[in-house]
Order: sequence, then structure tokens, then C-alpha cells
Amino acid sequence: MIYSTTTQRKPIQPLGQWRRRSLASNARSNVAVGLPLARRGEGVGGSGGRTLGGLGIVLLTLLLGTANAQDITPLLKDADRYRMSAENLQVDTQVSVFNADGSPDKQRRYTVFAQSERKSLVLMQSPVEKGQKVLMLGDDFWLLMPNTQRPMRITPMQKLLGDASTGDIATMNWAGDYTGQVVGEEPCQPDSKASCLHLSLQAARKGVTYQRIELWIGKTRHEPVRADLFVQSDKLAKQARFVMDKPSNPTNVAEMVLVDQLSNKKETRIQYLSRKERTVAAEWLNPMFLARNPSLE
Amino acid sequence: MGTFPRKLTTLCAVVGACSLSTVAFADNAEVSGQLRGYWIERSVADAGPLAQANRFQAGTAAIDASAATVQAELRASGSAGPLRWNATATAQVQSPEGGSTATQGWINEAYASGAALGWQWSAGKKVVSWDVGFGFRPNDVVQQEVRRTLAPETLEGRPLLMAEHFDADTAWSLVWVNPADEQANTGAKEAALAARVYRRAGAVDWHGFVRQGEHTGTSLGAAASWVASDALELHASVRAFAHADSSTTTNNGASLSTANPWRATLGDAGQQVLVGGTWTSESQVSLLVEAWHDDTALTDAQWNSWSARNQALPLWAARGVPAAAVAGNLAWQGGAFSVSKNLRQDNLFARLSWQHDRWQTALDVLYTPADQGSIATLSAIWSGEQIKVEGGLRVHGGPDSAVVRQLPVQRQGYVVATWAF
Repeated sequence: MIYSTTTQRKPIQPLGQWRRRSLASNARSNVAVGLPLARRGEGVGGSGGRTLGGLGIVLLTLLLGTANAQDITPLLKDADRYRMSAENLQVDTQVSVFNADGSPDKQRRYTVFAQSERKSLVLMQSPVEKGQKVLMLGDDFWLLMPNTQRPMRITPMQKLLGDASTGDIATMNWAGDYTGQVVGEEPCQPDSKASCLHLSLQAARKGVTYQRIELWIGKTRHEPVRADLFVQSDKLAKQARFVMDKPSNPTNVAEMVLVDQLSNKKETRIQYLSRKERTVAAEWLNPMFLARNPSLE
Repeated sequence: MGTFPRKLTTLCAVVGACSLSTVAFADNAEVSGQLRGYWIERSVADAGPLAQANRFQAGTAAIDASAATVQAELRASGSAGPLRWNATATAQVQSPEGGSTATQGWINEAYASGAALGWQWSAGKKVVSWDVGFGFRPNDVVQQEVRRTLAPETLEGRPLLMAEHFDADTAWSLVWVNPADEQANTGAKEAALAARVYRRAGAVDWHGFVRQGEHTGTSLGAAASWVASDALELHASVRAFAHADSSTTTNNGASLSTANPWRATLGDAGQQVLVGGTWTSESQVSLLVEAWHDDTALTDAQWNSWSARNQALPLWAARGVPAAAVAGNLAWQGGAFSVSKNLRQDNLFARLSWQHDRWQTALDVLYTPADQGSIATLSAIWSGEQIKVEGGLRVHGGPDSAVVRQLPVQRQGYVVATWAF
């Protein structure tokens, strides 16, 4: 692993395909990267050449006196595609919550209309929540409770309600919401041999659910593997694990597993039951339209 | 109202009735509902004019007794061609303590909706809730929902015709509510035309309202809700009206009346104003604070003379006046409680709530600065998969002279269990 000597972690070029793409831009930047060097013998090429490869990159960086926040948008876009396979989607999700001892706690169903330009409409489908709707337009949020039929503006904090917040369910994009840097190559899981790219993301918008995300993605395909999710106060709120549909050749995130780190240590599994391309009428995304019909369709 | 509106009402009723039956045969029909059982324990006050009335002659003033209630609510919706149908109906069995069990049913909503020429329309009985406040909503001019009820129930809509137009950031709503009801109807049952325009401007929602009541005339209103930061939302609402349905007493003095002195009247022009905000923390603790002024409520001077009469009336008993006459006059004093949605013109409201896991707890306090009266409510809700259990306690506080201390029930507890399907 490579760490920055500054208080904030600074990037090192990711390896493999990403390294080749971003090396030139890094070479032009002018912030020094610190040591120590890669400790686990992980770097370019096979196991024997990794340390040397990593060392070479760092030396090159030092020589040029550079390392700056790369434009990691392409990486995030790659990662986003595993959850958001089209610009406009209808996604049916099932959220199952388990207690710390593994016993089932509760289950909820949601229909999410995830649209382009960071617009999402969430319809609660479980009997106890039926009729509730949440509309997210960029950084602005509204809630409709069925007993009032009155759309109500809510703050980003109010959006955090529940084991799986509405943001967890409705937000499927990191690109555009976050900026950040590649921290380096690290094991995909603390005890695994496979290497991932570790990205450190900072919120670029005020309305996002998590202020900071430490994200690990596959080195080759850039599929999301795991993430640490931090709230505004920089407390670790949840740890996320992404389960892919086909581990050897992933195309979609089949399930996102969240473990609460703030209070109850509960585990929340968000299963993506179905995804289909769907563009909803513009009026559906008008806050006052939420009261129009109990279920919109 | 003329012949045409009456036909229109009939049409609304037919649309409503049809929606309940048609939905069963509609495409994509969805049926859901809930069973709800609750017990409200009411502790009758030993002070105040109604308590005094019953002391002079038991049973003179009717006071809500503790009661067990079971409600079955059925919701159905579906579409038939270009039309969409929605209906909600409730059947209720209520058994008050010491009284006989009563059964009744009502339709909460039954309406058809569709789209034509770029406008959305609805016809039938429908809940249309407007405005931005929590404790009080000056511009909720269609539904006119009673706020801060002890155990909120599913609202019962109003008969109406509504047309709406939406684009990305703007919405127009035009409503004809109670289109053919009796001219004498007041409050939420008054026939009226109402309109709302909504505009989203970044972090602010703007609302404009106008209402033309059949006898209350014109009112104009505006409201805004602003998300000032990640944690803070601020809102405000103001409404100016030409007239308001009210009631006044014909006897402010100490003399006895031979008939109920309270008469329905048309109040003068006035305003209702509300400001408030909600702050929410990361740990889901929320604090809502609101302050409002309501010119439809009795003035301080009116309450003062009401209090003076409360004190003067019992003295008649010592002068040989029959107890029934004194009791009756004291019971009529209760007419003051229903003049407006707010007892006092100036009100402060705070609500502290916390949501954690399956639990939601809240403590709210309504405070009336003029007489330092308060109503505090502590509540908790537990939500399971299909079952929700809630309970709470409401207590009136403040000096004996405070208006809220004169109400016939001073302490209420409730437990509600809901099974949703």
C-alpha cells in the first residue's frame, strides 16, 4: 500500500488499464506523493514484478514531482454501470434487514424510477408503508405520506431514515455526485488475495446521503466490490458489500449488503429484483404530482 | 346553488359509487387495507364550565367518554381504459364506556381521474391537502384537516371537481369543492372555488392560493418551504380572508339565557400567519418549532368575558334559580370551544421526535402565551412488518384560568394497533 505523507491521502496511479490511461495526466500534476511503498508485493504484472512495478511508478511520480487528483469519473462511470445499466430505469428492490445475531428483522419492497440527471422516484410497496413516496430531484427531496396526500419538502438528513436509507435505495450513481482520487491497490477484502482499486470519494453535492465514501472496485472490470460510507460528521455509518450476478464475469450488482456501523450493527440486504429501461413522464417528477394517484400507475 | 351544481353533485356521487364497484372489474386492480383497533381513555375534568354543569345536573353536558373502536378500511384502485379509479371505505364499530355500541360506515375517497388536453382531472370524493405547516395550516383551504388529533385516522375527502396541470417545476390546481352542497354549510363544507399555483425554485417551494367561498368570499394566501441546509427546513404560510365562518354569543354578561346564546356568524376580515422550521440530526432526532396567529379564534377580550361569565353563572344557584337552568347555561359555554380550530389567537408549538429502528417516539407541546396554557402529548410508535402499535398520553397544563384547563377532558391516553394487508 502507498500512503500519503500529508494528512489527506493523495493518489497514486492505479495499475493496469487505468494506470495506462491516467499516467500522462498525473505526470503533469505537481503534488508530491509520499511513501512507504507497496508492502504486499502487489503491483504491475505477476507477483514477482509487482513490487518493482509499484516502485517504478512511485519513483517516476517522485521524479516528476507530481501526483494530483485524477479525473476518476471514467472509473466511477464504469462502476455505476453495474447498478444503473441504462440512463432511465425502473428497478424493483427488496430490502431485508437482519439483526446482529443473523435473525431476520424486517423486509420491505420498493419500486424505484431512477432517471437521468439525478432524479429518482421511490414508491414504497410493503403493506405497512404502502402509499409512501419519496421524490429526489438532484439535491432536493420530497416525501408523501399516504394519510395526508400532501407532498412535503424534506432535508437531506430526513432522507437518511431507516436501515436502508432512501438514498441507499434510490441513488445508483457515484459519478457526478462525487469527486476523488485513487488511493492505490489494495486487497479487495481484508483477507483476500485479489487486488482492487481503492478510491477515496468526497461528495461534490450537498444532498448526497454520504459525505465520504471509500470504495474498492475491481481492477480490470471496475465493478464495485465494497465501500465504507461516512456521514456528514465523518463517522463511519455503514459498510457496503456488492454481490455480483456472475462473479466470474459480472454484468450487474445483484445485491448490496450494508452493515450498520453507527448503532445496531444490523445487516441490510438490498436485492435488485428486476431492472428495466423506463423513462417516466416529466410530470411524475413534479413534487405536487406525488399526490395525484396512490400508486401513479 | 342552482340546478346545474346539484346535478353535478349527483354526478360526483355516481362517480364515487361507481368507482367502488367498477374498480373490482378494472384492469390492474389493486386492493389493500387495514384493520385498526384502538382504545382511548379519557379522564373527565373536574373544573371548567362543562364539568360544573354536570355537577349541577348530571348529564347536562355531553362529554366524550372513553371508548373502544375497531375500524376496517379497504382501499382499491385500478384503471379502466383511460380512466383511473380509486376508492377507500371504512366500517367502524365503536363501544363507548357506559354507552351502547354503534356501527357506522363511510367512504373516505371515491373518485375517478384521467387526463385530457394536457390537464389532469379528478371527480368524486377526494382528499386534497395543501399548505406547508404541521401544527396549523392556514392555506389548507380545501380539505381543512383538523390537526394535532390524538390518534390520526384516514382522512375523509371532500366532494370536488379538480383540474391540474403539471410541468417540470410548476403545478396549477383548480378545485370546485362541495359543488352542490347546501348554501347554509359552513367551514370545510362550504361550496367554494379554490386554486393553487406551485413553483419549485431550487431549494425553495413557493405556493400561491386563492379561494372564493360561497358566503365567506375571497381569501388569498402564500406559503414557502425552504431547505436552508442539510439539516434545517424553514417554512411559512400566510392567508388573508374577507370573512370567516365563526360563532358569537349573544350573552356576554352574567344573566341567564333561556336558549343557547351561541349563534353562527360571518366573521370580519383577518389573517392567519404561521412560521416554523424543522431541524434533523444525523441520529434522526428532529425538532419542529412553529408559531402561528389566527384571527378566526376568539380574542383575549372575548375569552376574558367568557371566563367572567363562567364564574358568575354558578352564583345563580344560590339565588334560588333551578339547577337545570344554571347547568344548561354552563353547558352552553362550551360553544366557545368550537368557534375556531385554534382556541387562542397566538400559539407556539414544539415537537421533539426520534426515530430509531422500528421505534418512533415524540413529545409535542402546544403553548398559548396569552394564558400560559399548554397541551403536551407523548407518543410512541412501533412498526412491524404488517403490524403497527402506537400509544400515547395527552395532558393539559397551565394555570386554572387557562382556556385549555377549561376543556371537558384534561387527560387522554390511547393505544392503537393496526394490521395492514
